[in-house]
Amino acid sequence: MKTFLKFLDHLEEWIVASLIGAATIIIFVAVIHRYASGWPIPYVQDWLLSLNLSWAQEACIYMFIWMAKFGAAYGVRTGIHVGVDVFINSLKDKTRAKFVVIGLLGGALFTGIIGTLGAKFVWEVGLRYTVANTFGFDWPNLTSGPTSPDLEWPVWIFYSAIPLGSYLMCFRFLQVTWNFIGTGQLPHHDAGHVEGLEDETPPIEECGIHPAGMHGGQS
Amino acid sequence: MTGAIIFGLLTILMLTGMPISIALGLTVLTFFFTMTTVPVEAVAMKLFTGIEKFEIMAIPFFILAGNFLTHGGVARRMINFATALVGHWRGGLALGGVLACALFAAVSGSSPATVVAIGSILLPAMVKQGYPMKFGVGVIGTSGGLGILIPPSIVMVIYAVSTNSSIGKLFIAGIIPGLLLASLLLGVTWLVAKKRNYPCLPQASFATKIKAFRESIWGLLLIVVVIGGIYSGIFTATEAAAMSAVYAFVVAVFIYRDMTLKDVPKTLLASANMSAMILYIITNAVLFSFLLTSEQIPQQLTSWITGLGLGSVGFLIMVNILLLMAGNFMEPSSILLITAPLLFPMAMHLGIDPIHLGVLMTVNMEIGMITPPVGLNLYVASGISHLGLTETTKACAPWILVMLLYLMVITYIPAISLWLPNLLFK
Repeated sequence: MKTFLKFLDHLEEWIVASLIGAATIIIFVAVIHRYASGWPIPYVQDWLLSLNLSWAQEACIYMFIWMAKFGAAYGVRTGIHVGVDVFINSLKDKTRAKFVVIGLLGGALFTGIIGTLGAKFVWEVGLRYTVANTFGFDWPNLTSGPTSPDLEWPVWIFYSAIPLGSYLMCFRFLQVTWNFIGTGQLPHHDAGHVEGLEDETPPIEECGIHPAGMHGGQS
Repeated sequence: MTGAIIFGLLTILMLTGMPISIALGLTVLTFFFTMTTVPVEAVAMKLFTGIEKFEIMAIPFFILAGNFLTHGGVARRMINFATALVGHWRGGLALGGVLACALFAAVSGSSPATVVAIGSILLPAMVKQGYPMKFGVGVIGTSGGLGILIPPSIVMVIYAVSTNSSIGKLFIAGIIPGLLLASLLLGVTWLVAKKRNYPCLPQASFATKIKAFRESIWGLLLIVVVIGGIYSGIFTATEAAAMSAVYAFVVAVFIYRDMTLKDVPKTLLASANMSAMILYIITNAVLFSFLLTSEQIPQQLTSWITGLGLGSVGFLIMVNILLLMAGNFMEPSSILLITAPLLFPMAMHLGIDPIHLGVLMTVNMEIGMITPPVGLNLYVASGISHLGLTETTKACAPWILVMLLYLMVITYIPAISLWLPNLLFK
């Protein structure tokens, strides 16, 4: 179980970091390509013109949407989702803890519902057809569902970021709630973190961004 | 009536301290499940299509570019350059601090990071030279906010996206107000320094100035890449953002060498984390404004405001008060995403320029960063100075007054924001 959770953590981090990196490279290459193919260099120009990069923009959008959904789940773990914590911070610790749990469970509830709605949506928009086609089921009313304009992939593949990301986020909210009840600690994101300041006085941890307004924990 | 229920529900949910994005989403779901006939399935669809715009993708790219250059080494270069320029005037180190904050904030894109980076290097030096800590904290804490006005600014991208305004035009509109605020802060610092007879640094030699300029120019060129690229039409705003991210990567790893290739995945992950958080608020804010629109709240508000007969002057005062109050409790992107879709139609109805409204809202967000209880700059400034939060707030108070005065000027002289973009975009 522990190895699985570790694997999930790494997978999540790996997915979001590579998506943002790859999207940057794709747009960079597409822009360079657009200008470079205008230069009259023999052979090179023909070769560049033969490449079609019109899908770059669409790919970038979908990559970022995937990054946003999985990154939001990762963000629950790092405590980056901010709330209005002025009111609950003025309460007694015990009452405050109750509000924190309510807030976290609210997050789990919302992402759970969205995940389910998303799954239903993905199923109807094309997954149902693909499953039926692959396994040779004979279901009534099969339609193949739309494909994306440039990449021409079935859109359900892109949309599946909603159920997958939302369910993962729901799981993260429950995980954070569980840890909070057990240890009283919440993940905490340090907005003022700057690399390369080692020789100066290190900034103090406290900085006002806590998810659901709690202190402590590691970012 | 429905409007009151929606906002009441949202307020209650937000007061429990849950993330703002979740509070927005739960409000929408509650409403759709209980009170309307709009199919709930539309919600899941909106969650995806809400951010399916290429313009929005400028946000992660700008965050990535900023993170590559958010480094102590870059801060030190900006400080050297700034003090070489203005250090020999009265209160030289403080003036250098204001200028360094403006430069670093523009490049890094993050106000709290600017306060930490510039502050932790400069504050000890200032105290050593005999400045009171409170003065230093006030100067740095306030100037750190300059970044959201000087392009490239993420807050501006968010405004542009949620009101369908032009990112390029808004960036260019931010230049003069940004320079004006920087010179205002410099001027006030100089006056105070002169009155209290703070020390000045020795005049930097020409060779030192050139060297400091050559070292900082690589970072500063990022602004040129973005503004120049968008204005000349070489790139769209999102492409400019992606190019600036690649440029920042090259500068950080190969020119400044503050960062090795091994550090890159960490920067990517941190940027993805921050971007995903903002994109998540955007998706839920889109859902929320979908709910508002389907209940015709913006139209009702517009006719209500027309009925009041406020005129654009009174309306803008109201906008300022509303945003300043919101700025005390929420962070900029959430405020903009919730209020812009409501204020925008009213402002258009009253004939206010969308770009002017954008600059005005951005200035409000900037003031929100240094006002308690939730001013992020105050928290980090208190962290690096070891002053309490109340002390820090008092230290920033005179500067907040200066900013409020400046806000009035920006509000009632639209030409400051509009002159340059109108000149350039004929």
